[in-house]
Order: sequence, then C-alpha cells, then structure tokens
Amino acid sequence: MKPAPFDYFAPTTLDEVFELLSKYGDDARVIAGGQSLVPMLALRLARPEVLIDLNRIPSLAGISEDGGTLRIGAMTRQARALASDVIRNRLPLLHQALWNVGHPPTRARGTLGGSISHADPAAETPMVMMAYNASMVIAGKDNERIVEAGDFTLGTFETCLEDGEILKEIIVDAPRSDEGIGFAELSRRRGDFAMVSAAARLRLNADGTCADAHLIIGAVAPVPLRCDAVAQALVGTEPTEQRLREAVGLIDLDSFSFDNPEVSLAYRRHIAPTLAFRALAQAAGKASGLHT
Amino acid sequence: MAIGKPFVRVEDERFLRGEGRFTADYALPHMVEAHVLRSPYAHAEIRSISTDQALALPGVHAVFTGDDLPSDLPPIQCRIPTHGDLSAYLQFPFARGKVRYVGEPLALIIADTRAIAEDAAELVDVDFEPLTAVTDPSAALTEASAKVHERGNLAGRWGFDLGDVATALDTAAFTASDRFSIQRHSAMPMETRGLLASYDAGRNLLDVYGPTKVVHTNRNMLASMLGMGEAEIRMIEPDVGGSFGARGEFYPEDYLIPFASIRLKRPVRWIEDRVEHFAAINHSRDCVFDVTVAADAEGVITAFDVKLVCDMGSFIRTHGDVVPSHAAASFPGPYRVRNYRIDAMTVMTNKTPTGTYRAPGMFEANFARERAIDRLADRMGLERAELRRRNLIQPEEMPWHVGTESVKRPTIFDSGNFPLIFERATQAFGWSAPFEREVEGWKRGRGMCALVEPSGLGPFEGVRIEVDQHGRVQIFSGSSNQGQGHETILAQIASEILTVPMEKVRVRHGDTGIITFGGGTYASRTAIMGGNAVHAASTGVRQKALGAASRKFGFPIEDLDLREGAIWHGMKNEPLASLGDMARMLMPGNQEILVTPSAGNIPDNDGLVVTSYVRGVSAGAAVFAVHLADVLVDPATGETKVERYMVACDVGRQLNPLIVEGQIIGGVAQGLGGTFLEELSYNEEGQLTTGTFADYLMPNVYDMPPVTSLVFEESPATTNILGVKGVGEVGPSGVAAAVGNAIANALSATSGINTLPLTPQRVIEAIGFEVGA
Repeated sequence: MKPAPFDYFAPTTLDEVFELLSKYGDDARVIAGGQSLVPMLALRLARPEVLIDLNRIPSLAGISEDGGTLRIGAMTRQARALASDVIRNRLPLLHQALWNVGHPPTRARGTLGGSISHADPAAETPMVMMAYNASMVIAGKDNERIVEAGDFTLGTFETCLEDGEILKEIIVDAPRSDEGIGFAELSRRRGDFAMVSAAARLRLNADGTCADAHLIIGAVAPVPLRCDAVAQALVGTEPTEQRLREAVGLIDLDSFSFDNPEVSLAYRRHIAPTLAFRALAQAAGKASGLHT
Repeated sequence: MAIGKPFVRVEDERFLRGEGRFTADYALPHMVEAHVLRSPYAHAEIRSISTDQALALPGVHAVFTGDDLPSDLPPIQCRIPTHGDLSAYLQFPFARGKVRYVGEPLALIIADTRAIAEDAAELVDVDFEPLTAVTDPSAALTEASAKVHERGNLAGRWGFDLGDVATALDTAAFTASDRFSIQRHSAMPMETRGLLASYDAGRNLLDVYGPTKVVHTNRNMLASMLGMGEAEIRMIEPDVGGSFGARGEFYPEDYLIPFASIRLKRPVRWIEDRVEHFAAINHSRDCVFDVTVAADAEGVITAFDVKLVCDMGSFIRTHGDVVPSHAAASFPGPYRVRNYRIDAMTVMTNKTPTGTYRAPGMFEANFARERAIDRLADRMGLERAELRRRNLIQPEEMPWHVGTESVKRPTIFDSGNFPLIFERATQAFGWSAPFEREVEGWKRGRGMCALVEPSGLGPFEGVRIEVDQHGRVQIFSGSSNQGQGHETILAQIASEILTVPMEKVRVRHGDTGIITFGGGTYASRTAIMGGNAVHAASTGVRQKALGAASRKFGFPIEDLDLREGAIWHGMKNEPLASLGDMARMLMPGNQEILVTPSAGNIPDNDGLVVTSYVRGVSAGAAVFAVHLADVLVDPATGETKVERYMVACDVGRQLNPLIVEGQIIGGVAQGLGGTFLEELSYNEEGQLTTGTFADYLMPNVYDMPPVTSLVFEESPATTNILGVKGVGEVGPSGVAAAVGNAIANALSATSGINTLPLTPQRVIEAIGFEVGA
C-alpha cells in the first residue's frame, strides 16, 4: 500500500497550476482533499507521474454571498461547508446532504469540488448541485467556462472537464427562503456509499398547492436522475401524502441501471419511491411550516 | 481484597497516552523492510518466476522465492487434532507449483524501504497459466469441479449420531427445517500483523518481535522448520492491537521473515498492510447448516438433525478444522436433547484459508439452532421462551455430557443453573411485557438466543512469580495479551493472595525468554488457565515466605500469617518481616537464612520465586448466556435498528467486573458486525472483492445500540480453584441469533432471515417485495 513513485508539486497560484497541467498533460493529476485519490494511489489503482496539490491556493477555498448569489470555492472543505451558517441558511439542502457525505474525518479533509469532480455515482453533492441548478465554473490556462450542474457529470467517474482544466468554483442562486427541502438516503452504514438517495426541493403557493418542485435520485445510475415528471405532477396540487405517493410512482425506474449482488436493481427500484416520498414529504412539511 | 474489584485496566494509561509499543514501533540498526509478493490469481499454474529486474532496482537487497527455500522444508503444521488426516492440505510458506488463492505468497522482496520493495515487486515477472477457480463449496463437490488439491476438494466428512434421530423424526408432533448460511468474515484487529526478526549469526540466536497469542508453540514450530534449537529462538510479544483468534497464529510470513533475516544476517521487518490483511489473515465462519428440529406435542425437543458444510478455503492452517468441529460438538446448546445427528463436510476452495474468529463455530451454530427453534415455536403456536424453558438442561443434571467431542476432548458442561439464569434474564429484559408492535411505520420485534459457551480449553498454563527485596511482585506469564486486560486480572489474583497492593504487582507475558513453557491465549482461557496458574504460584510464594519465616524466627508455620504484605505472628502489633524482607533472606548467598551444609557444593536458597504449571481440564468451564434484543425494522426498505440489547450470563466468578462488561459490550459490537455488515466476498474468478474498509464494513459508533450486561456468579466453575469461567466469547456468540429472531418476529416472517449478513435487501426479501410497491 505504498504509492508508485510520482513527482509532487504544490503550487500557490492558479497560473502555476495551469502551467504544470499543460507541461505534464495526461501524466498529471490534481489532488484536492485526497479522500478518494490517496487510497487509489496507495492501492496503485491510480499512478500519475505527477501530482499537483491544490491545497496551497487560498483563492480556491471559501464561501461568499453577493446578493442572491452564492459562490463556493472548489477547495472548500466539506466540514467547513457543513459548519457554514451561510450554507445552512441559504442552501439548506446542501447542508442536509453533507451530513451523509462520508464521516467526520473524511469531511475534515474532503472538498466539495473534489467530491463533485470525482463523480462517484453514489455521491451526494452532485445531486444537490443538480437540484439547485448550480453553475460550475471550469478554469483552464487561457479560458474559463460555465457548465450547468446537470451537464457536468457525464458518467461514473466521468465529467466534462477537459485536459488542463479544473473545477474552480460553484455558483448557486440561492432559492427563495420559503422553500422546503428534504434529503433521504439508505446506506449499509451511516456515511457510507448510498444504495439509493433522494434530494428534494419544494415550494408552496399561498393556497397550499405546490408552486415548484425538484427531485433528484442518486446511486441508481451513472449520473444522478432528475425526476421532472414527478415534479410536474406535483405543481398546482396540494402535496398530501397520497398525492406524493402517486407522484413518486412516476419515477422512471427503467432508467435505473445499477445492479450488484448485495444491492440488486430490483431492490433499488423497490426502495427508490419510498426514499423519494420521504424526501418530498420532508420538503413539503418544511415548506408548509415556513408558510404559517 | 483485589479479586472482583472493578480496577481500571493498568494497560490503559500507556495506550491512552500513545505510549504503547507495537511491532511497528520497534526498529534495529541495519534493519531492512520486507514486502510479500502475492498471487493475483485464485488458481493458476506457476510456469516461471523471474526476479532479475527486481534485484536490479537500487535499494533492493534480496528477492526470495520458493527456489530459495530448503527442498525438504515441511509445510506449516496444524497445531490442533483434526477429524481425519488433513496433512495433504497443509500450506508451505511459498506457493509450490501453483497458486490456490488470491494473496498466496510467491516471493519476498527485501529492500531499504517498504516503498522500494513494493516497486520491486512490480518488476518480478511471474508467468501464470490460469486455471478454473473453485469458489462455491457445493460446486466443489461435483465430479466436474476443478481440484484445489490432488487429494480432492472434500477434505473431511465426519459427524455424530447420538440416540435415535430417525425414530424421533418419525414420531415428532412438529418439525421445522431450514438452511442457515453464515458468511465468510473474520477478525479485523486494529493493528495488522507484523514481525521483526533479528538474527545474531555469530551466536546463532534469533529474536523475533511481533508474535503473540501462542508464542511458545510458534517458537517450537519455527525452530523445527529452521532446524534450530528451541532455546536458540526467542519470541517477544510487544503490545498488540487485537487478535480475536486470527492474529498470532503461525502464517507463511512467520517462517519467511526469520528465514530472510538468517539469510541476510540483518534485522528484517515486515508490517502487514490492511490490503494484505484482507487476503492473508485467516478468514472464518463461512458455513451452511441444514437443520431439522423436532418436538413432541408437549414442546419437548426430541431431535436435532443437521448437515454442515464448511468452506475451508485453499489450505488447512494451524487451526485445522476446529471451526466446524466446535460447531458440531456444541450444536445442541443448552438443551437436553439426546437424539442428535450431524453430518459435517469440510470443503476446499480457491479462497483464503480459514481459522478461528472469536466464538468459532459457536456464533454460527447458535444462529442456526436458535433460528430453527423460533421457527419451531411459531409452528407449534408455543411462546418462544416457553419452548426453550421446557428443554433447558436442569441443574441436577450437571455435569452434562453432550456426548460429542471436539479436538479430541469431550464436550462437557461442568456446572450451571440454566433455568435460574434464564428466568432472571427474561425478567430483567421484560421479555413477557407487552410492547408496541409499530412505531412510526417501523415494526418492532423481540428475539432471544440461549447458549452455552465453552471456555478455558487447552493443555496447560504456567507462570513464574518473583518477589524482589522491596516487596515488588513480578508475574512472568505463559499467556499472552492482545488487549484483553490480562496485565490487570493476573495482577489482581496475585495481589489478593500475597496481600500486596496492585501497584506492586507487574505482569510480563508473551515472551519465550521469560518462561520456559506457555500455553497462550485463545478459547477464553486466560482467566481460567493463566488465572489459576497465578493462583498456584502466588500460593506457593506465600507458603515459601511463611516457611522461611518459620525457620528464621523459630515459630511454627501454623502460627504465622501473611497479611498487608508482611509476616505476622499471632496477635503481635508488629509484623516479623515484610514480604520484601523474606525475599531478601531467600536470595542465594544471603547469610540470614543459612542452608544446611553438605559435601561439595551447598545448594543455596533460590529466591522468593515460584514457578507453577496447571493442567487444563478437558471440559473447561461452560458459560450459560442469554442474549435478548429489541429491533426495529422498516418494512418499506428493510432497514433495521437494534433498539436495546442485553446479555445475561453466569461467569461463575468475576475477577474484574469492568473487564467482564467490556468483553461483553465489545463482543456484541463484533457480533453486530457479523450480523449486519461484515462480509469477505469473492466473485466467480475467485477475486476477493472486499479489499478495503470501504467495502468491508465494520460497525461504528452510530451502529451501537445500548448494551446491558447482566452478570451472575451463581455457579462457580467446578473445574478450577478460582471458580472462574471465560467471558471472552460470550459477547459475539449469540448476536446473529437474537437479532435474527427479533427481525423475523417484527416482520412475522415465516421464512427467510436465514442468510447472514442481514442486509436491508435480505431483510425485506423475507416478506417479499414488488418493484414500485
């Protein structure tokens, strides 16, 4: 469990990062919190020639709010985000989901950007970013581009990042304060890989009908599933228990694909509506509490 | 009085301060590091191994392969009697001709650092011819199966046939039958294995740091494999971060690392990493029971009829077939069932070899038996505790001879009042009290397991006690210590008998250099065997001190007394001498007590030193225990939550209640891991797919329910003077059974909950589910 030899760089500016990336190309990997990459290095499953450490670039970490827009640096630690009042108040779904991300020691080192860029299908943060329709700021040597969260993850451990690019920042327009959120997840052991997870946002009109809803299901397919059919079925109706149960029946179970001996496809299809219902019911309960 | 007091463990302070010294904390001048190159295939012929490139890497000192070992090297011997001759399945330190499991050692690379050794390992070129891997024990028994060993995949078939099972089944009013599977899992000590071997070529002496558990046995095995004298090898147990049966057995590395040190004439250190550990440590449990239990109309259990298939993995190691052997010997549990039949098969597959893991065979058998008994009770419409109550062995039937044997020792329960403990346990838990069956959509269930845990097995144990002239007492123990608290309990026994405070007693252990013979630590034996050896030696020291005082001061020995660490005469206000004074007087060369002169050399006093060995009793000491659990089950997802857990047991006599409670709670935690989470999985190619702690899940603090231990001292062991029974394995032994019964009860499941681990998916499969429902 000793990594294969590699050269190590710890640049202090983004310019240096891009210079190193362009110099070493495919041979280089950037390392953020290291909670996934370091074990892969130790197991020699990943064997980059060059490791570029992003931990000494202060501008990559931090949470700021400007009007209704939040900016989260990619190197912001998960533990820092979990403890942040801004996140808790303005992006409560992210706050809630972070409780399910790993364990306290891994959250202390692990970063939001690292988790999103790693693109593990069972990861919670990409789902949340999809639920918030966040914008991912991707930086390269000479350019910067913005990609919607839904287009960032392409598959299992696969993102739209090109050679020489890194995820720099996440921009989220904070939702209205009367929105309710819910997050439900089932894993073998708390903090471990989800078997199925569900993230929901829901807002009510003054008459108690649903004004707006989002539902994302994770850990069932290479990329998190956005369940717009469920959301649309809820808009304009009162989210009663029965209504929610009917709506989650519209989850496209055919698009589930993960199937292992321990967690079969049939089992995932069986429990996903339950978890989706629980996430939506939590969200509806909170939204209704915010109204009264 | 020190016995029975809740002393905080004397070991804890150094561990909590980070001052423990584990194998990786040891280093010696000129030391080099070792890495084991292991097989990536489950089953393959080895055509050739080329080490040239690896040897050329700077920093590499040697690469050893099977060609470097003596051609007449014997395989690693089994240290326990087996059912039939299993010698054809023993393992050599390096794979010979073919590899039989992923992780089998192929070569040993010695380099300046572990990292260089691992780099070099990638340069060793092995030409394999892959063979079909045998991964399923039932498929392994078919004609068409590939053979793991020439002698065939069925290593052993044996059993017991007591009473008249056929008639009992024919005449039964009720029967229940099912198959119960216990998954492969094993010990995951916090500290992995490690060895530091240092060979002194000039004097032909070998020191090995890192062995544990059975150091004397391992020393003898190593001496025989190396062709050295036993006294030329010293094995030294440092602090050890857990064993649970697995760590401390003699593995291929236990030969290879000393061998390398001898060849290189340098200290060689090997620290097993966690990935190696998963593939290299003894696996355990892995077995399937087919059980039929029969009862008459009155609820008297009339027969157990059992088939057992145990997947042994690719080799028979030092434990032989002890896991299925214990399971078969103890299957009837605490019940007076005289018709018992078991047909046991041990099967070889291309997986890591197996050995014992805390409560070997018992965790497994208890799960199968107690689930089957619940099934039977449900079928009879008889309350589950009542069915058990009607069949418990009665106190007047003690000692109870089960009629079976394991490792050539008859299974006998020495003592116990099972009905009394059973009633107290069920009352304390509130077994019969009504409870809410449903809480916020979750179903609640209640389950129990009654069991007998054998303890204190093994041939003998020994200690030497030395008192110095300051009255300090040193215990040199043949038992070893992997975190159980032996430094505390052994000191307590000496403290009590020698009437000196705990602070004056020190325990040293696990070192072949400090005591000639030692049994070691396994089978919940140290309180019994080590404890009674300390009792014997302390009593000897006491007698020796009194006898010397009698000679010195001229009083009859019966007028003298040892108390407060000193010798007293009658009702006098002042002691005659302290224990330290007596130790001084008994030092050789001391003039205060003259020995009788004789011709030639005068035999002198030999100190206030006593060595005592106590012989084991076949039966050991039987602990009766009842596990009780309330469990919540989410019927929508199969998620489970253990709400509360109780273990009630009769340990005969507690040496230290804090340690007893800790053993029980820690044991329950391990049992919960085996019940819900832990599994060593293989795919069809024989690849181990649970290679890290991301895949192999162990319970953590969030998973622990509140555990209550209810410890009784009703029936002291009749087989040892202290009256103690071993408590090390009572904790895990009944967990899967009690929890499984509670889950089945919650779901009113009439099938299922028979395959461990009880994942959410398996739980919900017991009541069936439809997609999208």
